[in-house]
Amino acid sequence: MSARTARTAPNVVGGLAGWIWLAVIVVPIYYILVTSLRPQSDYYAENPLSWPSSPTLDAYGQVLANDFLRYFGNSVFVTAVSVAVILSVSLMASYVVVRSTRRSTSRLFQVFLLGIAIPIQATIIPVYYLIIQLGLYDTLWALILPSIAFAIPLSVLILTNFMRDVPGELFESMTVDGAGEWRTLWSLALPLTRPAIVTVGVYNALQVWNGFLFPLVLTQSAETRVLPLSLWAFQGEFSVNVPAVLAAVVLSVLPILAAYVVGRRQLVSGLTAGFGK
Amino acid sequence: MTLRIGRRTGAVVAAVSVAALLAACGGGKQPGGPAAGGDGFSAWALTGGTEDMFRAQFDSWNSAHPDDEISVEWFANDAYKEKIRTAVGAGNSPTLIYNWSGGTLADYVANGNVVDLGDSTAELDERLIPSVAENGKIDGTTYAVPSTHTQPVVLYYNQEVLDAAGVEVPTTYDELLDAVATLKDDGTIPIALAGQSVWPELMWIQYLTDRIGGPEVFQAVLDGKEGAWSDPAIVEATTRIQELVKAGAFGDSFGSVNADQNADTALVHTGKAGFVLQGSWVYPNFMEAAPDLVESGGLGYTTFPTVEGGAGDPDNIVGNPSNFWSVSADASPEAQESAKEFISTQVLSDDAVQDLLDIGAVPPIVGLEDTIEEQADTDHPSFVYGLVRDAPHFQLSWDQALPAAQSQALLDNLSQLFLGQIDPEQFSEAMDATL
Amino acid sequence: MSVAVAPPRVPAAREQEARRPAPGRSRGPSLWMAGPALVLFGVFAVVPLLGVVVLSFMSWDGLGDPVWAGADNWGRTLADPVTQNAMRLTLIVTVVSWLFQTPVALLLGVFMAGRQRYRAVLSVLYFLPLLFSAAAVAIAYRALLDPNFGLGTALGVPWLSQDWVGDPDLALWVVLFVIGWCFVPFHSLLYQGGVRQIPATMYEAALLDGAGRVQQFLHITLPQLKYTIITSSTLMIVGSLTYFDLIFVLTNGGPGNATRILPLDMYLTGFRSYDMGKASVIAVVLVVVGLTVSLLLNRLSGSNKMESQMEGV
Repeated sequence: MSARTARTAPNVVGGLAGWIWLAVIVVPIYYILVTSLRPQSDYYAENPLSWPSSPTLDAYGQVLANDFLRYFGNSVFVTAVSVAVILSVSLMASYVVVRSTRRSTSRLFQVFLLGIAIPIQATIIPVYYLIIQLGLYDTLWALILPSIAFAIPLSVLILTNFMRDVPGELFESMTVDGAGEWRTLWSLALPLTRPAIVTVGVYNALQVWNGFLFPLVLTQSAETRVLPLSLWAFQGEFSVNVPAVLAAVVLSVLPILAAYVVGRRQLVSGLTAGFGK
Repeated sequence: MTLRIGRRTGAVVAAVSVAALLAACGGGKQPGGPAAGGDGFSAWALTGGTEDMFRAQFDSWNSAHPDDEISVEWFANDAYKEKIRTAVGAGNSPTLIYNWSGGTLADYVANGNVVDLGDSTAELDERLIPSVAENGKIDGTTYAVPSTHTQPVVLYYNQEVLDAAGVEVPTTYDELLDAVATLKDDGTIPIALAGQSVWPELMWIQYLTDRIGGPEVFQAVLDGKEGAWSDPAIVEATTRIQELVKAGAFGDSFGSVNADQNADTALVHTGKAGFVLQGSWVYPNFMEAAPDLVESGGLGYTTFPTVEGGAGDPDNIVGNPSNFWSVSADASPEAQESAKEFISTQVLSDDAVQDLLDIGAVPPIVGLEDTIEEQADTDHPSFVYGLVRDAPHFQLSWDQALPAAQSQALLDNLSQLFLGQIDPEQFSEAMDATL
Repeated sequence: MSVAVAPPRVPAAREQEARRPAPGRSRGPSLWMAGPALVLFGVFAVVPLLGVVVLSFMSWDGLGDPVWAGADNWGRTLADPVTQNAMRLTLIVTVVSWLFQTPVALLLGVFMAGRQRYRAVLSVLYFLPLLFSAAAVAIAYRALLDPNFGLGTALGVPWLSQDWVGDPDLALWVVLFVIGWCFVPFHSLLYQGGVRQIPATMYEAALLDGAGRVQQFLHITLPQLKYTIITSSTLMIVGSLTYFDLIFVLTNGGPGNATRILPLDMYLTGFRSYDMGKASVIAVVLVVVGLTVSLLLNRLSGSNKMESQMEGV
């Protein structure tokens, strides 16, 4: 615990700096919100930071009318499937790393570790070529499969680190009871590593949800467009209509904002994914 | 034994996972949709400009062929250029491929991505202005057919702005420089330029090079002759460009002006800028955004000024001879047939021609003089038509004429030239390196 | 954003033994359980990684088939001034990002770790930028920085109405600022966590010795945060090397080449100029640099782990 609370003299400089930073953070966000509510005709006339004289939800209507829900749905599908597969696959792999006595296991672990240092962006061209050859170009699977692959190393790392804290005796007792490895994984490892699973799940969900490069290169039609890409395309098409573009931004953030309000602690821990340890 | 069960179950799970993976692969193009490659008759088209004409054509096709409807996906210009080539390369392109001919078409042909259109374009060919139709032919075979208006680059201006500043329409480069100075003193941006999109800057180097050295200069570049970019005509053109920039001709923030938003034409019709050098495809934008200005004759247009001592014919023009349709070789035979029939029945049909004339656009059809005279708005179309019909040489926009890598390098270096980051010698050097 | 992480906690040999099944019993789960992970990772991550190296020796324009080109691409790419500029820019972005973000995040982290109630409220708000996708942030800032209708006009401050994104001299600084805006919250969270772990006893002892606030910061907080600094710096540096999304949407590498950093250069070379071979060379450079930096920083933090943070307590 920091002993700061014991101080009697308030930290004026620190406090001031804190408020300044708050302004830096909040002003752009306020701008986004306010502009999205402004009628387009007033955009060029009114002071950009003023509350709109006649606030309207027209911009939002436009965005929704432009297939926004489809892009949202695509994002949900891609994220949900990716995270589900990442979690199950990584959990199984971590279980092997932690529980197996074979010598090859540590080599397996090292292979995964190496993957953490691979920058996704660098592999985009071969992935593009591979996806075409597999006939998956412009499908949502083109987004799901590489996302899973690149999420595995870190997920395995975190889950492994966590699972290692589970006392060996618990595993022993399961074996004594005659449980197979699958039963042990399901009934013991899974519940005990739940905090790490939540962390990994949240972290990967955010990464996949906000992913931009893969959708940019691996999809082309409106039907397979996901949310971040739709923002970019929307901006290209409607860039003159700034309120509409910013309304799209607001709508794209709402789901995550909702998650933040509901589960702030999990979201924060997920985002920092145990890096703070 | 625990061991055996573990291994067996593990193997089963692994096998199932792999099988699921393969099934996903086989399932392939699920939400790919009909507008992607594959079986359906499809097209990608551009928004803005002659969008309405295209829409009318697609609708007309659909009502005549209810069981073979065309599915269309619409793109903004820059977004389209971004995606089309990867789509073609992935075998996932629409049946009808919108293109500007030039280097990209040559690449498509070289890689067998598009089919021979000879038989379905015979009738249309006879009606087309030859110089325009030529662009769609490679070694005598027709791979692309003009689909819309012909678009030379024209110098547009706001007469009211010029009058207020007391500026005459320039006919020579020196007069242009004077006009720039006067307008600048008057507080307006002399020439609007969509620097952020970069390709509008091409018009300047294209016209200047042509006026100074004639079309042979760029032809040398196309032929890949070593050092072609260091031709004195190009060096002089780039020098003049920097002269214009230093004189404040384009204002201070042309780097943020975007063409896709029509920001450059907006500067002209809102009276903030005097001139804009753009393709005639912007005329419909003017008509839509500032109908009063256009009707009252406040929107003027003229040819690019001559350069004193220049070797180029002042009647030469640059721009896009047209936009073209090609048919994808990766489309199914049925879709290809539909596409060919679409071309012979819809493209530049009488209805389409009328639609174009209605918005002031000029179809590349021969013998249109009388029809143009009958239109409500005759001045602009007859001006443009005359330009195209009588031009000794119609230079295709350089970024379309060149192969992709060179074209991209051209845009990058040109952007730096306008921003003053490199000088004319460096420009020529950098471009020579791409040959 | 690519991710690198602090080295895994290597369990002591004794712990390992206790966790493993006792010898003579089953040898643990079969390797097949790791199969799906291996297959997915192998096919979509490892294979492309090898593919990039192979492709860097080939010539492919995206339309036809790749064709062998030998070391041609390598010579061309490394001599290309645009790519050299990209490398220079990437270096600048990495260094300046670190110089800007680390002190701000550190101070913020310390600030947020304080127990005053208003600081907790502020912390909730500080987190907001992390909710936005890079595309969203870039789009919002583009509108905000419009010289005619953005922030400058709003506040009536002419200096703020410059051609931020269109001026080649300013664009890079704008990019650096926006990146900082996005990621300082993240790093400040790390530092907040780090500060919270410093035992209060250290501060109490210092107070007894008469140390002022600044001295406490310099002699206690900073040294104790060494591990966090390394972690945060690793993430920041490797992230800067591969950052793409925001810059692509905000400036697309422009104006001119002013913000064309390495990952962007790779994308533009591959998908605008359709010179996939050359783009692959750049990709390999990215991988090599990324790996090297990761390993170096790992080594650095690895040696640090020998000393206890709790020395002298």
